[in-house]
Amino acid sequence: MNGNHTLRNSILWGLGFALMVAALCMVFVYVPTEKHTGIIQRIFYFHVPVAWVSFLAFFITFLSSILYLWKREIKWDAIACASVEVGVIFTTLVLITGPIWAKPVWGIWWTWDARLTTSLVLWLIYIAYLLVRSFATEPARAARYSAVIGIVGFIDVPIVFITVNLWRTQHPTAIIFEGGLTPPMLMTLLVCIAAFTVLYILLVIQSAGLKTMEADIKRLRSMKAE
Amino acid sequence: MENLGYLLAAYTVIWAVVFGYILYVQRKQRRLQRQIDMLKESADK
Amino acid sequence: MNKTFTKIFAIFWKDMLTELRTKEIIVSVLVFALLVLVIFGFTFGAGLEVTEMVAPGILWVALTFGGVIGLNRIFAVEKENSRLEGLMLCPVDRAVIYWGKLAGSFTFMLAVAFVITPIFLALFNLPIFLPRLALIIILATLGFAAVGTLFSALAVNTRARDIMLPVLFLPVVVPVIVSAVKATGPVLAGGPWGDMLTWLQILIAFDIIYLVVATLVFEFVVEE
Repeated sequence: MNGNHTLRNSILWGLGFALMVAALCMVFVYVPTEKHTGIIQRIFYFHVPVAWVSFLAFFITFLSSILYLWKREIKWDAIACASVEVGVIFTTLVLITGPIWAKPVWGIWWTWDARLTTSLVLWLIYIAYLLVRSFATEPARAARYSAVIGIVGFIDVPIVFITVNLWRTQHPTAIIFEGGLTPPMLMTLLVCIAAFTVLYILLVIQSAGLKTMEADIKRLRSMKAE
Repeated sequence: MENLGYLLAAYTVIWAVVFGYILYVQRKQRRLQRQIDMLKESADK
Repeated sequence: MNKTFTKIFAIFWKDMLTELRTKEIIVSVLVFALLVLVIFGFTFGAGLEVTEMVAPGILWVALTFGGVIGLNRIFAVEKENSRLEGLMLCPVDRAVIYWGKLAGSFTFMLAVAFVITPIFLALFNLPIFLPRLALIIILATLGFAAVGTLFSALAVNTRARDIMLPVLFLPVVVPVIVSAVKATGPVLAGGPWGDMLTWLQILIAFDIIYLVVATLVFEFVVEE
């Protein structure tokens, strides 16, 4: 890694750390407790940014998949795959924190609501993405296949959402936003979103770097074997 | 302060998973670094 | 244009001839789907009050899982007999291969559906003659085939390919399954057109979107 990268990474890590500390302080000290749902509403400040990041991650995968199929540069494949990894982890967190919030507020862990169901289907699609990648017989194939799934899977998202929305819906937003979002709440949410977006960028850079490194090592190995 | 347990659980899960992933990435990095070192060594011979 | 159609038809006809001789795909899928129906019959007890609620679900689970089994074979037969390379060497556009294969899988799945559905209707004591159900089946099967043919070509080159296809295919076709089940409900109950039109629209939209997307990306799946 050259000096430029190290500097950029240090700045990003610093920024991420500072934002995360600020976010935690705002969530637990600064922001007033919401009147209707009480203290549990504080999950919202991490749940929503995590959900946002997972959608962002799959969108980035969609774009890098197209770029990979077009340019055939290994860097785009590395970014797409790293982004799916981070996206799946964050979607898992959405699916865990959602029910934890729903249980005390609605009295149930799970409901087949549009948002919840779409997240679940998304999670399943990108788990399949990672599976195909690890089951593909050679690296070039893995890259092409996963790019195709990255594109097809993302196009599926709005269709799933529309379908499930018509199927049955129970609006969680209506409950969260009851009484509106006061300025301190909005501020806190925005800081949290910023903190998680920086965390996402950091994780993807790190993970994509490793993937490129892995591919390089594999290439060197096969060159040596010849 | 009702539901504090749920709140605590949610934040614990988030941090546990995020740190778990960071740890996984770090271990992978170390493993790859070792492989690179080995490749370098064998190339120097 | 006319030439493209002839080429697509040639690939389609090749699959039809193979299938007519071996009857490998259609028979296995038929038996499997029938078994799913029978198992459901046992687990739910096929009582009249339950039938209305679960019948659409039973039909579509049988057709979906049967479809996965069939789609798995579409490219697997080529792979096993090392004919895949031959097919890829054909001097035609990759999209033509996709459409030829798509026509084949669509026909197989439709054939199975048109045998299974009357059996299902009889087993669960529902009205047998339902033209509207045929429309739903055609649209949903087209959606299954559009996505399934693409993923079948992809799964065939992975390890554990028999499990890769359902794992990939099922989450993506969730909209088709939901719409098909929802549209079938009013048809079985003899309800008006209005209830099912929305779902038919979703099915049509899904079919068009996936036919276009799969045609565009298929070449990346089969390039070697």
